[in-house]
Amino acid sequence: MSNEDAKHTALEEAKRAVEEAEALTGGSAVAVHATTGPRRSPLVTLAWVAPGTIWLLLFLIAPLVMIVLVSLWQKTPVGFDPFVFTTEGYTKLFQTPVYLDTLKDTIIRALLVTALCILIGYPIAYFLARGVSSIRYQIALFVFVLAPFWVAYVVRIVAWLPVLGRQGVINYFLVEVIGVRAEPIDALLYSNFAIILALVQLYVLFMVTPIFFQLATLDNAAIEAARDLGATPAKVFREVVLPLSLPGVLIGCIFVFVLVMGEFATVRLIGGGTIQSVGTLVYDYYKLPDLPTAAAGATILVAVMTIGVAVLLRFSKIREVV
Amino acid sequence: MTWLWYIIGVAILVVPFAAMVLLPIQRSKPVLTVYFVLFVIFMYGPMVAMAVLSLQGTSGSMTLPAKDLFSFHWYSELNSSMSVMVAVREGIGKSLWLSLIVAVITAALSLTLGMAFRRQFRGSGALFYAILLSLMTPGLLLSLGLSFLLYYAGIQKGEGALGYVPIIGVQAVWALPFGFLVMMSIFNRYDARAEEAARDLGASNVTTFREVTLPLIWTGVFGAGLFGFTLALNEFERTFLVSGTINTLPLQLYIITTASVLRPYVYSLGVVTILLSFLLIALFLVVSGVTGRKTTRAVEEDGSGVDTPSMTPAAAGGD
Repeated sequence: MSNEDAKHTALEEAKRAVEEAEALTGGSAVAVHATTGPRRSPLVTLAWVAPGTIWLLLFLIAPLVMIVLVSLWQKTPVGFDPFVFTTEGYTKLFQTPVYLDTLKDTIIRALLVTALCILIGYPIAYFLARGVSSIRYQIALFVFVLAPFWVAYVVRIVAWLPVLGRQGVINYFLVEVIGVRAEPIDALLYSNFAIILALVQLYVLFMVTPIFFQLATLDNAAIEAARDLGATPAKVFREVVLPLSLPGVLIGCIFVFVLVMGEFATVRLIGGGTIQSVGTLVYDYYKLPDLPTAAAGATILVAVMTIGVAVLLRFSKIREVV
Repeated sequence: MTWLWYIIGVAILVVPFAAMVLLPIQRSKPVLTVYFVLFVIFMYGPMVAMAVLSLQGTSGSMTLPAKDLFSFHWYSELNSSMSVMVAVREGIGKSLWLSLIVAVITAALSLTLGMAFRRQFRGSGALFYAILLSLMTPGLLLSLGLSFLLYYAGIQKGEGALGYVPIIGVQAVWALPFGFLVMMSIFNRYDARAEEAARDLGASNVTTFREVTLPLIWTGVFGAGLFGFTLALNEFERTFLVSGTINTLPLQLYIITTASVLRPYVYSLGVVTILLSFLLIALFLVVSGVTGRKTTRAVEEDGSGVDTPSMTPAAAGGD
């Protein structure tokens, strides 16, 4: 095997391992164009491509397009009239101060949760990737950390109720066990604090996973070389570890930001109906039913998400240049 | 006193991060280990609290202190004739059936897409991003859009001829990227020489696929199906607005939780679904372990069957 071949194999190997682990976790993915298959006729290709494509068009693309269309259609008592074009839904929303306030709150909340996920998730990914020397333990710990992702999302939200409630675990410890407080804290449940806490717990794995995969493929030789050349640990982190892990951070940020922007159930269940997000407002309009206004709310949400993602990508481009 | 708690909270967040940035890994490891344990408590703590409270006796309540531990009273309650429980059991039955169908569809779609992506084709980039988009679309939006589409097409939601189609549709869309990535990883370490040999010996495309390709990748297909099953079973937001009167298990749980009076059976129901999910992951790990051994025998070093995101000895050979 020539050197080139060996290098190629090693690269393929590393790529494959990352993908596999990513598949296991639903983490980020790197676009890979495998060329392992035999040559084939266009007809065969079409046969393989068609089922998945049709499914995605029908159940992913069409619904998203539909949201934008409905937001521009006329409201009727139970639904919408596709033959009358109007921007009533948008005007209604922009004349409702509650919607704009909620939009602002939702954006702030999403940014805050994303920042907290980086702050909490990065050291965890770093520890798993670089602090655990045995590969066997590394995989075991990673699967262990990741397992909650597979638990029903509603169940994970419900599990916060006994922790945060007026007589929940936290208050119980503060009042009864440690005795630092005479009265339980009311604001734990049904508060912004509770929502953010639960959201971080629900989505932090979307941050840990891509960072972990980036750091796990990090070559120890690069770090040792930097150290041998006299770089301080802080400099090694800033100049070697951080730049190499940035793509993972970026993918994590996109996931967390977008998913938290669209949050509905956590805000409803833990916010107890007093705290709103754009998601809960959209749902309220949907229930009225005022479908075009719900669609307009959702379209604005999608627009904000797209802007957010574009800004993140732009930011990463700048980082690459510097 | 409140400020003290703020300081403690901020310190817990900042100290490990600072240690990571400022210290070499050997020195920061103890701090990070402690932090990792705290993180595990953060992730599992609420579930453990729920599990403990689900084991209370008859007098048990939704909050601490837990009363007359340990009893399976609230688990046997799941089997009672209360109307809530009848609905829950119906929900479980429907969920299992739906998940099974979604599993089969996810496996089939992942297989075909996996085969498709073995070679580049026109639009492969766009299709790849569409698959990723399904991972990134918030569930509520998908649900909302599809319910508009159903209204537009005049399809009745809920029990009825087409009522299950949208549920299966969105759940499979949600599971597809996971199944697809499983297939991608299978094909990335797949040795195409066996296929070539079969073709050289005169086998047709269909025969080659059936006799050579499929036996080599079936564990991956099964894995994709398992992902589909688990994700469909636990799916909530995507199903929420398209299900009509069909209440799957997570929807039942949501309905119970938003109802006024909560009893600890909510916790036991939660624990049952958690255990079911963990069982399914364990099954997946066993299956992927089998695949790992079968297809990567040549490069497998430690024989654990689980692939590791690190450079293998092949990397050393490159120097």
